[in-house]
Amino acid sequence: MLAEFINPYYLQIGCFVLINIILALSVFVPLSTGQLSLASAGFMGLGAYTSALLTIQFELPILVGIIAGTLMAGLFGILIGIPTLRLQGVYLAIVTLGFGEVIRVVFVNWESLTKGSVGLSGIPHIGREILKTFKEFGFNPQSLGLQNNQFIFLSIFFLLLVITVFLVWFFRRQSRSRVGRAYAAINLDEKAAESMGINITYYKVLAFTQGALLAGFAGSLYAHVLAYISPADFSYHRAVDILVFTIFGGSEVIWGPIFGAIFLTFLPEVLRFISEYRYMIYGLMIIILMAVRPQGLIDVTIINWIKSKFSKRGVKHGSRSEKSM
Amino acid sequence: MVLEVKKACKNFGGLAAVSDVSFSIQKGEIFGLIGPNGAGKTTMFNLITSMFPLSSGEVIFKEENINGLKPNKITEKGICRTFQNIRLFPLMTAEENVMVGVHCRSKSGVLSSVFRTKSQRKEEEQIRTRATELLEFVGLKDFAEVTAENLAYGQQRRLEIARAMASDPNLLLLDEPAAGMNETETDDLFQLIKKIQTLGITVLLIEHDMPLVMNLCDRIAVLNFGKKIAEGTPAEIQNNPQVIEAYLGSEEEEEYA
Repeated sequence: MLAEFINPYYLQIGCFVLINIILALSVFVPLSTGQLSLASAGFMGLGAYTSALLTIQFELPILVGIIAGTLMAGLFGILIGIPTLRLQGVYLAIVTLGFGEVIRVVFVNWESLTKGSVGLSGIPHIGREILKTFKEFGFNPQSLGLQNNQFIFLSIFFLLLVITVFLVWFFRRQSRSRVGRAYAAINLDEKAAESMGINITYYKVLAFTQGALLAGFAGSLYAHVLAYISPADFSYHRAVDILVFTIFGGSEVIWGPIFGAIFLTFLPEVLRFISEYRYMIYGLMIIILMAVRPQGLIDVTIINWIKSKFSKRGVKHGSRSEKSM
Repeated sequence: MVLEVKKACKNFGGLAAVSDVSFSIQKGEIFGLIGPNGAGKTTMFNLITSMFPLSSGEVIFKEENINGLKPNKITEKGICRTFQNIRLFPLMTAEENVMVGVHCRSKSGVLSSVFRTKSQRKEEEQIRTRATELLEFVGLKDFAEVTAENLAYGQQRRLEIARAMASDPNLLLLDEPAAGMNETETDDLFQLIKKIQTLGITVLLIEHDMPLVMNLCDRIAVLNFGKKIAEGTPAEIQNNPQVIEAYLGSEEEEEYA
């Protein structure tokens, strides 16, 4: 009876939603120090290819591959983050977009390693590995009335859910600390922040690298959830998609990019019945939103309004203390 | 001697914004820096806090040459400033603004912040207590939860002072703190700066409000066109013919005016 409700197709969309939330955070974190980065697709690709190649070529465990992929992206994050420190706004966006394209072109042309635009297939699949491990311990999904396929997607979904919840918790905690205040101060007035004793070089590179780590991590997960990757997965379109999650949802509070990622991952699925027009609708929505609500759908005012609905204390007049994430 | 500026020069292209300015400030005094608009007073602040590099000359703070240090390092050494055109963090609350000021006197990193280690919780508590103290000190205790952008102008000026004091400076640089204030607010400011002095903090003050400067400062240096034209006690400065000329113009000029 449980089995009837578990549709692998919906679970897979659920998995993409969760991966996209992590990707949206990878834009949001650097943006919370005022750095608009479009490199997420590139870092995602680095993570995905590193982890995929390590697990295919050297038959390393998936966990090792994912850690290596994340760290590889983080390393590139530091390397890109330092020279681009002086760049602001659109200039940084252009450079990071260029970086993403360079990474993609390397994947296309380094055929001996990456199989070029054909892509890598046969990447170890997280769900199947989990199933294998469970079966070794003598557990059979049938005992829960689940088919293997259902169990595979269900296990991935819960794994990703735990990871995503942890990451959201992590960055919320961070935002309400000394580090988060430094990020917010840099975002609001870099010169004043520096004059107040904040090492802006350190915190900007830190935020940029955190973004790279998140994207690399999401990319590694992506590779092992799909079991197939190609350079086209990490193209310019991906970079824009990830950016739009945050722009659409809002970049003032952490709930903005989360909402954006959820909504914009479901939307194309919901609009499947008019599939020819769905990207037109998608585009139109973003244009309208930018004209009407440039700060994104979810902002501090909305969060405070929701809070006041749920708490008796209400919100003190003029207070926007929840602003930093 | 807290601060010694030796032959400081700053050129922007062909313009000498500050040339050959020297002065020194004793511990615990209130030192005024005055002069007509464009005399190079704020540039002098930017040179002391390393917002701009010196073209030549030296800035010595507590017997140490601080030329070329980054602004955040200067703050760590014990010099903190306010801005002529208020530069608070507009979307943060008053309390958060002051808490940012404590940044360089605290050290929690990412992991201790996320996992709220014992030392981090203690530090965060101390930061909050310090912020509350300072808000009370400048008379903004009741506005802790108000965002900086929603504060009245005079309150914003005082909040900037509280934020600067949060870094526990030995030397506080105030850039026109009385600008745009009415008489009552200026009186309050006078009391506040006196109170800061009693804490043992040395104050370097740029100000256009002459009665305030003359009543408050122990010594004053006067800049005009980037050069120091006088230095001395308020009484000496008031009677210095060069200063009078810089402010009011010479008699010949007036005939043509």
